[in-house]
Amino acid sequence: MSAAARVALVTGAASGIGASIASHLRHEGFLVAGFDLVPSDCDLSLEGDVSDGAVVAAAVAHAQRELGPIAAAINVAGYYEMLAISDITQAQWDRMLTVHLGGLFNLTKAVLPGMVELGTGSLVAITSELAIGGGDHDAHYAAAKGAILGFVRSLAVEVAPTGIRVNAVAPGPCDTPLLSADSPWRDRAYLDTLPAQRLADPNEIAVAVSYLINHDSFMVGETISVNSGAVI
Amino acid sequence: MIDTGLDTEAITLITGAQQGIGEAITRRFSAAGARCALNDLEATTRLVDLAKETNSVVAPADISNRALVHDMVEQLIDSHGPIGTLVCNAAYMTMAPFLDHDVEDWWKVVNTNLTGAFNLVQEVLPSMRSLGAGRIVIVSSYWGVTGWPDATAYAASKAGLVSFIKTLGRELAPEGIIVNGIAPGVISTPQLEVDARDAGVSVAEIEAQYATAIPAQRVGQPSEIAEGVAFLCDRRIGSMVGTILQVNGGEVRARV
Repeated sequence: MSAAARVALVTGAASGIGASIASHLRHEGFLVAGFDLVPSDCDLSLEGDVSDGAVVAAAVAHAQRELGPIAAAINVAGYYEMLAISDITQAQWDRMLTVHLGGLFNLTKAVLPGMVELGTGSLVAITSELAIGGGDHDAHYAAAKGAILGFVRSLAVEVAPTGIRVNAVAPGPCDTPLLSADSPWRDRAYLDTLPAQRLADPNEIAVAVSYLINHDSFMVGETISVNSGAVI
Repeated sequence: MIDTGLDTEAITLITGAQQGIGEAITRRFSAAGARCALNDLEATTRLVDLAKETNSVVAPADISNRALVHDMVEQLIDSHGPIGTLVCNAAYMTMAPFLDHDVEDWWKVVNTNLTGAFNLVQEVLPSMRSLGAGRIVIVSSYWGVTGWPDATAYAASKAGLVSFIKTLGRELAPEGIIVNGIAPGVISTPQLEVDARDAGVSVAEIEAQYATAIPAQRVGQPSEIAEGVAFLCDRRIGSMVGTILQVNGGEVRARV
């Protein structure tokens, strides 16, 4: 099936991986609605916080009215911070979970009815290599991203009979604004320990997402690891 | 035309190309402009016709026989240039309760599936090194992840491939030769005839039986595995290494 004129919604579309995915999908002929805290360069730019279910629901309704039924939803919105377990405050823990897991929950609740109506659809959640392998000072981030894996596998089984596919992509350290210039993930000594010896490029994540939302796929509840070999 | 990311210059060697998943991979790659060499046991009429239809060349050899693999790869490179992409798809499968499995046949399964991949990678690697880059995709199986009754040889060979893929992924990535694998679930191919025979039912019945255990409620198509292989050979991605793409309709949802 041609990707032409299909509509995709991308959260976190203003920068980094989300912006690369939005751009890649537009190049492939998708109409893309971008959702982020700030404006994004998409066919339709929607602003809001993914952790607010009402805001996400309104944005999805707006996108459906403006662009048409949503065939693919990609949840990218997120942020990264490293903290020792004893330093993570309750507020930091809650925020990490409500943005990553809550954002995916809110997006799913908002787009699923339309996809069920269409009898087809694809949902892709961006998780992380750290969800699989964990990492030093990553307890709250890894917990949130790991929860996404359980959510994806379960939701995938639940909605597969309706023709909707749910999968995840788990990037390793990626060359995006999420990694500060002095981030240890940019350290040459660290990168040399990776089989691919470099950061992943956000465009590589976009190619993986494009593969997953393609109709010629039998992938359900899976996680594609694009992590330079950090976790094998 | 949208860039599909496949190499269209160096040769793509596809083993077990005559039917099923191998044939679908051949059609997918050649449609994207790849120069394919089609391996199977013999240059049958069917293989030759597929090569003609897809503008490919034939490269017959029993992959479990190292000397034959050596000659096949050497002739291919002499006539058509270096090999930039290798798709190890050829497989042999028989099923039997463990104690009933003929010892020679048990080893034939392992020697074809696991040693066959070893033979191919060792023979093709110098050519990829001369190019300074390459893509290797090895077809494993979800039975290599989960195991399956009456399939000790097949499951062991496919599980061996999983570790082979992970290790080669680590070993070769620094030189730009990217190794990944794919683990198909139940796919509608002639191989299902083996399962059907083992279970004493028709192919349609075995497909329906399998579908009840698959969240997508159907078995997969060879074209869907071909799409996954094309994704893994996509030159636009070089940071996906040593992974096993599990394409099974949701039947197995876990890391391998």
